[in-house]
Amino acid sequence: MSTATIQRASRTPPRQHIRSRAGQEHPWTFAVPALVVLGLFLVLPTLLNFVLPYTDWSAFKSNLRFVGLANFGSITSDGSLQQALRITLTYAVLVAVFQNGLGLGLALLLERDTWLNRLARSVFFLPVLISALAGGYIAQAMLKPDGGLNQILSALSGQPVEIAWLGSSTWTVVVVALVHGWKWMGLAMLIYLAGLKSVPHELIEAGRIDGASGIQIFRRIKFPLLAPAITFNVATALIGTLNGFDIVQATTGGGPARSTEILNIFIFRTFGSGLYAQASAMSLVLFLAVVIIAVPLIIYLRSREKVLA
Amino acid sequence: MKAKWIMPAAVAIAAATALTGCSVAGPPSPASSPTNAAWPDAKGKLDGVTVTVWTAQSTASVPNKVIAAFQAATGAVVKNVTVPDQYETNVQTSLATGDHPDIMFWQTTGSGLKIIQAKDRLLPLDGAPWLEKLDAPSQELGVLDGVHYAAPIKAPSVIGVYYNKANFAKAGITEMPVGYDGLMAAAKKLEAAGVKAPAYEASADRWPNQWCVQVMLADLAKSGLWDRMNTNKDKFTNPEVVDAIAKCQALYSSPTGNPNIKTATFPEQAKALLSGEAGMVIQVNALVDQMAASADLKTLNERIGFFPISPTGSIGTVIAEQTNTVVAFKSKDAKQESAARQFLRFWLEDYYPTFIQEQGYVSLQPAVASPDNVPEIGKVNYPAAVKETVGSMQNEAIVNPDLYLYLVDMYFGSKSPEQVAEATQANFVQLAQALGAEGF
Repeated sequence: MSTATIQRASRTPPRQHIRSRAGQEHPWTFAVPALVVLGLFLVLPTLLNFVLPYTDWSAFKSNLRFVGLANFGSITSDGSLQQALRITLTYAVLVAVFQNGLGLGLALLLERDTWLNRLARSVFFLPVLISALAGGYIAQAMLKPDGGLNQILSALSGQPVEIAWLGSSTWTVVVVALVHGWKWMGLAMLIYLAGLKSVPHELIEAGRIDGASGIQIFRRIKFPLLAPAITFNVATALIGTLNGFDIVQATTGGGPARSTEILNIFIFRTFGSGLYAQASAMSLVLFLAVVIIAVPLIIYLRSREKVLA
Repeated sequence: MKAKWIMPAAVAIAAATALTGCSVAGPPSPASSPTNAAWPDAKGKLDGVTVTVWTAQSTASVPNKVIAAFQAATGAVVKNVTVPDQYETNVQTSLATGDHPDIMFWQTTGSGLKIIQAKDRLLPLDGAPWLEKLDAPSQELGVLDGVHYAAPIKAPSVIGVYYNKANFAKAGITEMPVGYDGLMAAAKKLEAAGVKAPAYEASADRWPNQWCVQVMLADLAKSGLWDRMNTNKDKFTNPEVVDAIAKCQALYSSPTGNPNIKTATFPEQAKALLSGEAGMVIQVNALVDQMAASADLKTLNERIGFFPISPTGSIGTVIAEQTNTVVAFKSKDAKQESAARQFLRFWLEDYYPTFIQEQGYVSLQPAVASPDNVPEIGKVNYPAAVKETVGSMQNEAIVNPDLYLYLVDMYFGSKSPEQVAEATQANFVQLAQALGAEGF
């Protein structure tokens, strides 16, 4: 047989034919409503966020005028923006550590499928389901000087305990990060559980046969194979917290003395003063900060998956 | 393909809809609203008309009985829409999208009126029949460039000192302190008499921090400080202003301040004054409402007194607040504007005596007697009752900087009075530039 015949015989059905069959069953028309909503509520505000910082948009005027880079100058001149960025980064790193530490710990603890473990997993997942503001207000009520936590400590120690958990300008950011970590650790726990379940059982058995202890099995077998779960959890924790607002707003409102004023709260406050263009400029800075942090981080974490998988 | 044109069409529709939203929503082109428009009779029939009233969480229930009576008298439908906190921010957002009510509660200081573009958005209330029935200070509320925009329903606050009578007696203070020196002397006497917190500041709630500084600027305000600030001739960083801040820092430091200043909240402040833990509190009228929530009229009258204070005397510093006044909006529909005017007439004329009786507010109209359930302090802590008054920063400055926030930093030890002044001045300039004020 000639090569031409072989080629003709081995040719797969024309791709056009398959595409039209699929096109008839799932026409693009079904996606139009979703695309319109996406365009209006996601694409448009993001595009405007690149335009409005260069205007003088404020509550005081109803016209817009281009002012170039003046807004960026005014928001960086007194150091408030840099301080807010620093606090946001500190907060995000703390939350990533707490959320993942607690989530991983819970996942390892509740790995086996006993009925008690299943119940405990549901209980620890409950904070994820409540509203972030509600969680924050509950935390605030527990942590104020005459709140629940101090009452418990007073009862346990026999002495009146009046620690101002939310009143320290140095340590409150750690406390609020803990609250945020508590709220979302259930989700991290779920992802880690899924990751742990995907570790091949033969590897663990082989490790046990070779005499490895629990800690060694964790360090050498489970942890490296959890790389995809870690990528997801650390990236979402970090990026999600950089954009955080609810929990801090509900617990401290940015206080005390603006020591927990993360960028979104600073933006909210600036917007409330009527300085809309400056608030947009800060939003743009936050957007860029997230991109600058997220892209290298995800590249690094994904590279870990490729090496170890 | 049948559906090939759908994608580009969808994108085009989305883009077109998006571009129509690009223009900033400005105020509506008004129906005819001449300054001396006819004020319709309050009880005229308004069947089929809907009036929308915006209230804050703190004023949500205030107009309810007025609304019920107005609906019964005129047949209009009045909707009370509560805008969630933070009221000022959310109202501005709604106004920016083009939404507006017919009536709303608003802090009608100069800066407050400017930030909602009063000249373009609000109905001028000059010539209203109830305007001349108000006492003199109330007639000057909510005036911007010579035009009235505010309908006063509750007395503005005179910022002053609320004191615990028993503690004053214990410390042997028989005459009301005059000036800063008198205040400090009284604080020291209270401290010597064993009062735990001679002067109590609720720093944790942030907004209370500014009142002390405001009263300590009263003498400067009398000499025209705010006019000079508004044209950038005087700044917050001037030594006299920094001195006012430093005076407050000294008052609230140990031993004359409260040891828990960093975490003290407004409810705790009210509780401390009532219980005798505190000797004096510099606050606005809201303190009276807070105390009244847990003490009856008799207790309030027995325990708490009030006097105004200023650096060298007893000048009262006045601040108009959101709870004090309502404003009316221009509308494309002349019927809506007429209904709004009618509603205001009903509230301030026909229903006014009942209203202040129900709310326990002091009367702002000399011809109408104040109800019996106004506490003694409520009869002396508003502008018409104080001999000499001067406007606060909120009342007089063109924009309202975040002085109170920077003061929290000072009480936490991370800013000095000079740094507080610097930060406030920077914020003030930023806001004034956004306003387009001359000289900035």
